[in-house]
Amino acid sequence: MTARGTASRYLGSVLRNGLGRYVCQLQRLSLAFSPGGQSSRGARGYIEEKVLDFAKQNPGVVVYVTPQKCRSPTVVAEYLNGAVREEIIADKTVAEITQLVQKLANQSGLEIIRIRKPFHTDNPSIQGQWHPFTNKPSTLPGQSLRRLEQQPNKV
Amino acid sequence: MTPLPVRQRALPETVRPLPSCHGPYVRGRGQSFCGPSKMATARGLVRAWRRLRLGVPPRRALWGGLRKKVKEPEEVETAVLVKEPPILVCPPPRSRKYLPPEDLQSRLESHVREIFGPSLSEDWQKASLKESKLKYHLLAQLAAELGHAVPNSQLHQMCTAGDVLAFYSTQVKDASKFDELCTAELPSNLKIMWEY
Repeated sequence: MTARGTASRYLGSVLRNGLGRYVCQLQRLSLAFSPGGQSSRGARGYIEEKVLDFAKQNPGVVVYVTPQKCRSPTVVAEYLNGAVREEIIADKTVAEITQLVQKLANQSGLEIIRIRKPFHTDNPSIQGQWHPFTNKPSTLPGQSLRRLEQQPNKV
Repeated sequence: MTPLPVRQRALPETVRPLPSCHGPYVRGRGQSFCGPSKMATARGLVRAWRRLRLGVPPRRALWGGLRKKVKEPEEVETAVLVKEPPILVCPPPRSRKYLPPEDLQSRLESHVREIFGPSLSEDWQKASLKESKLKYHLLAQLAAELGHAVPNSQLHQMCTAGDVLAFYSTQVKDASKFDELCTAELPSNLKIMWEY
């Protein structure tokens, strides 16, 4: 589809995160995998080795690990602004899953769609946006009449 | 398995099934309308005669009387069977857990010196176990003392006392990784659902 046909948004941050303190925008992570099943091999390895470290490094994120019989293992990331992102981790290695989970943790919950402008500012103009009447002398109605009275010959 | 309807049991295979009569008010072939048709009664008599011939007891009610009789004894039997069998619980397999003791090196050294005698050089770890008698004595003693035997598949790898030391210093856990995770102290933000 064209850019016009797909969704787009302006560049922005969630409540100026990072300006003062930084708050991790990832609220919870749900890992669903199969205890048997070859596609969940990487997921199982990740849970055995890496998930504990991730949980310790990100104490603000709640990690739910559910072993259940499923065809393809998934990781569901929920963000503080309500956005939900689901990724399939079937047939991925432990390193790939670690990278993906770190990426999800670094994201804010804003949608991954076309950004209209790569810049945004709340104060686009300091001295005021130019318009055709800037720098042109302005005359009040009273002043113009006095001038006419003073110099009635000059028109 | 539900018992077959009586009609099918009574009729031998060579006999063609009688044309179905859906009710007493459906016209048969060339039959004038009457109440319960003459064909039905005739067929019933024929069936009863055939049943008597085959030795099947006649049914008292028209619909499903014998079926109920056949069902009940079966149900009673199955119920009885379920209660009776003795409960044989298989004992859990012996756990292959092994934790190497702290004084493993000294113990091993003392055993090796005992078995090899004075012919041992200073570095006891290099003592070769090529002689099967010495090897057997050493491995048997260690197995008895520590409760952990070298499996047959790894016997050929035990060439020197150093190999034996390496084998006995490796820990063996029989719990799966998930059991370990369960018992380990999880941080408060990690929740693992165990019911699956």
